[in-house]
Amino acid sequence: MNIEFAIRVTEILIGFAFVLQSAEHIKRFRNEQLIFIPRLLLSILLIFGFQTQWVIAALFILGVAMLVRFQGPYNGGADRMSLLILSCLCLAHFLPVLQWRELAFGYLAIQFILSYFISGWVKVINPEWRNGQALVDVFNFSAYPVSESLRGLADSPRLLLFMSWSVIIFELVFPLSMLSSITMTIALVIAASFHFANACLFGLNRFFWIWIAAYPSILWFQQRVFDTI
Amino acid sequence: MWKIIKLLLPALIPSWNFFDVIVPSPRIQFSIIKSINDASDWQEFRPRPGHISFLTMLRRMLWNPTWNESLFLVSCAERLLENPTAHSEKEIFKRIKAELVADNDKEALLKFRLLFIHREGDELKEKVEYESQPQAIVEDMNK
Repeated sequence: MNIEFAIRVTEILIGFAFVLQSAEHIKRFRNEQLIFIPRLLLSILLIFGFQTQWVIAALFILGVAMLVRFQGPYNGGADRMSLLILSCLCLAHFLPVLQWRELAFGYLAIQFILSYFISGWVKVINPEWRNGQALVDVFNFSAYPVSESLRGLADSPRLLLFMSWSVIIFELVFPLSMLSSITMTIALVIAASFHFANACLFGLNRFFWIWIAAYPSILWFQQRVFDTI
Repeated sequence: MWKIIKLLLPALIPSWNFFDVIVPSPRIQFSIIKSINDASDWQEFRPRPGHISFLTMLRRMLWNPTWNESLFLVSCAERLLENPTAHSEKEIFKRIKAELVADNDKEALLKFRLLFIHREGDELKEKVEYESQPQAIVEDMNK
C-alpha cells in the first residue's frame, strides 16, 4: 500500500465517520448546526475527493471550533482521535517533502499502536483490573452499559476476569502485530471486534468508526517498516 | 489562544489511558417545582432501558444521537465535580429543558443534581455532589 492510497482510504473512512456524527446534530440546537451542517457537507466532499487538502484543513478548523464550543471533546477519545487523524492528514498533504509527509502519517500509526499498548499498560498495573473487579464495577455502576439487563453481567465475575485479561493481553501484545502483514491483519480484525463489542455494550459507536479510519495508516506503516528492514 | 492550545494538546499528544481507574459514576436527576420553596421530587434524567435488542444495537452503530449526548452529559457532570464552570451547568440544563419543555407548565422551575455512585468494599454508595439553583424551564434553546 503506498502512502497516497493509504491517505485516500483514510479520508474516505473519516469522511464516513464524520457524516454519521454530524447528522446526529443537525436537528438539535441552532448554534450546533452552525458547526455540524458545514462539517457534514465538507465530509461528503472529502468522501468524493474534492479539493481534499483544503477540505481536511477546514475540517480541522471545525474540529477546533467543536473543542471550544463544548469546552473539550464531545465524545472523549473518539473526538481526540478524530483531531489527531485530521492533523496528521493536514501535515501529510501540506508538507513539501515526501519523507516529512511520511513522518506525519507515521506519527498517526505510532499513536494508533500506543492507543492499545498504553491502555493495556494502565490496566495491567492496576490490581483491580488484574483481579477482574474493575470490569465488574464497569457493569455494576458505571454510566456505560446501554441497558439495565447488561448490569447483570456484574454477577459473572469469572467471565469478566477472563474478559479483563483477554483485553489486557491483546492491548499489550498489539505492537508485536507489526512483525508481519498477516499478524497485523489478524490483530486489526480482533481490534475491530473489540470496538464493535464496546459499541454494542457501551454505546461507543463513534469509537468504532474513528478507530477503523486509522487502519490504513497502520497497514501502510507496517509495510513501510517491514519493506525497509 | 492558550486556551485553544490547552484543549488541542491532549488530541495531538494523547494519553490513551482509557478506563485506567473506575471512578465514581454520575447520574443526573432533575426536579420540576412550581416555586423555589417547593419540595423536590427527583427523577433520573434518561434512565437506561431494561433491555436493548441486538437489532437496536446494530442500528445504533449508525445512529445513536441520544446516547452520545448522554455520554457528553456524563463528561459535563464529571467536569462540574472536578472543575465547576457555568458552561457544564448550562449544557446540562439546556439538554434537560429541551426534553421537558413541551410537557410542562411554562411557569415551572427546573433544577438538577448530580448523584455519584461508587463502591466501598462490596457495597454501592450514592452521594449527591452537586445541586443547581432552580431556573425557569422555558428559555431560548439556542443560547
